[in-house]
Amino acid sequence: MPSNPSMSAAIVAAAESDKIGYIEEGTTALNLHIEAIRNVCAEAGVSPSEIDGVFSTNNSNLLAEYLGLHPKYIDTTAVGGCSFQMHVHHAMAAINAGIIDLAVVSHGEAGYSARKNKGNGTLRGGAGDPWLPAAQFGGGPYGNWGAPSNYAHALTRHMHQYGSTKEDFANIAVVTREWATLNPRAVMHSKETHPVGGPITVQDVLDSRMIVWPLNLLDICLVTDHGGAVLISSAEKARSFKTGPVWIAGAGENQSHQDMLEMDDYTATSALASSESAYRMAGMGPGDMEMAMIYDSFTVTAGITAEMLGLAPRGGGPSLWADGNASPGGKFPVNTNGGGLSFSHSGMYGMMLLIEAYRQLSGTAEDGVHGIAGKQTNAQSAVVNGTGGSLSVTGTLVLTADV
Amino acid sequence: MAEYNKSIPSPDPYVTQPFWDGAKEGKLMLPRCTTCNRAHWYPRILCPHCHSSNIEWFEASGEGFIHTYAVQNRAFGGWADETPYATAYIDLKEGDRMFTALRGVNAEDPTSIKIGARVKIEFEQASEDVFVPYWRVVD
Repeated sequence: MPSNPSMSAAIVAAAESDKIGYIEEGTTALNLHIEAIRNVCAEAGVSPSEIDGVFSTNNSNLLAEYLGLHPKYIDTTAVGGCSFQMHVHHAMAAINAGIIDLAVVSHGEAGYSARKNKGNGTLRGGAGDPWLPAAQFGGGPYGNWGAPSNYAHALTRHMHQYGSTKEDFANIAVVTREWATLNPRAVMHSKETHPVGGPITVQDVLDSRMIVWPLNLLDICLVTDHGGAVLISSAEKARSFKTGPVWIAGAGENQSHQDMLEMDDYTATSALASSESAYRMAGMGPGDMEMAMIYDSFTVTAGITAEMLGLAPRGGGPSLWADGNASPGGKFPVNTNGGGLSFSHSGMYGMMLLIEAYRQLSGTAEDGVHGIAGKQTNAQSAVVNGTGGSLSVTGTLVLTADV
Repeated sequence: MAEYNKSIPSPDPYVTQPFWDGAKEGKLMLPRCTTCNRAHWYPRILCPHCHSSNIEWFEASGEGFIHTYAVQNRAFGGWADETPYATAYIDLKEGDRMFTALRGVNAEDPTSIKIGARVKIEFEQASEDVFVPYWRVVD
């Protein structure tokens, strides 16, 4: 139940980095952050491990990774000097909502040192600082050029560890394409919408151009233009609009790492933790879900996430798509818009997952009234999971239809 | 010295310099926490396992194993000339993991590369001060 967050949280300790001012020997913004967090924890008598919410400008995920944290709330609001007041506000709201128990709001800027270091180590925007750990020791020096370069390592490990095959994962692309053929706005709907649109086979996936072994071209999402938005209302007003409500029954988020260098288990993501939070909040479990929208930047992303969401056995993620189960007319529809693989994927696909889940649960899939037959499912509940970074951060929602 | 045409890492003088100093001498230097006695990678001023600030550097064996890998068929800059080439995460004998481009493998045949294969570190001079670590399959 919503409640007034007034008095629901308090600042319990405050500390600075080891040195402040003109640090003649020089330092980096990252070091200043870490020193301050260590010191404030020492003053409060808590271990950094007890922190479950990380709030900072731009770099919250790096701070969490550095400290080995898996926060349930990650906030990188960066709007200038007042950002930290806003972080306190956001943290209070998260605590009041029961999502987290202990938040850190952190700041570190090496304004003085940055001048003598020619801007290095300033941690201003995350990427681009050559002294960031990942810039020295991650993919950059070895020619990794983006998500495909990174994600491929996860599929290799999954096949090794569980005996899964490229064919298993290729079938995810095949089934997802089936949904795209029912979506007239899908890039890969048909030969009319794209020269290689329309139905595909597992062999087509295996025969498509090898990009980063073991990922072929058709294991990889599209790169499109896309915009989207949703409106969120209070429960009291939720039925006062021309369009009907789809209820947010549960929500959760989590992070396992920022750079893939720090990924512990290449066959698992934090969707396990974020979905546990969402299911718990909803008082529901995977068995209560009637469809799923699963981030499919790559076939391997979707396959592993299916395991994490409890929709497939560990090591057998692709089985969710086997035997027509996840296909149009199947008993558990998945990625009913045609997915990032065959509908549209502009770079950050999460909004598209959300829009499709809303349409399915409100009975308006594609035609905006009663839904297109075949494409419109009967699902009354959906688990919606987004993955960000290099299998790094996940957010899970449990949504239910208005009954 | 042959021209190194790939992205050259920029050593951070405040945290990672001992690693790069070791690399110049062909040694793998790793950070280790003297409170919990565990090595970690990447280098930090705070142990990611127990959050102690008592970090020392030590010379590691330079030996490890392939944890997982991929073969890059597409690349940019200097790496474009090398395709296909294999990248890998290496389980260090002393614990934790490094990323690398693999040497001593046939990337034309991805399944010939084996997870668990033994690897040793080597360093290639990229500039006057920077020697980039690579791992070579020795099995």
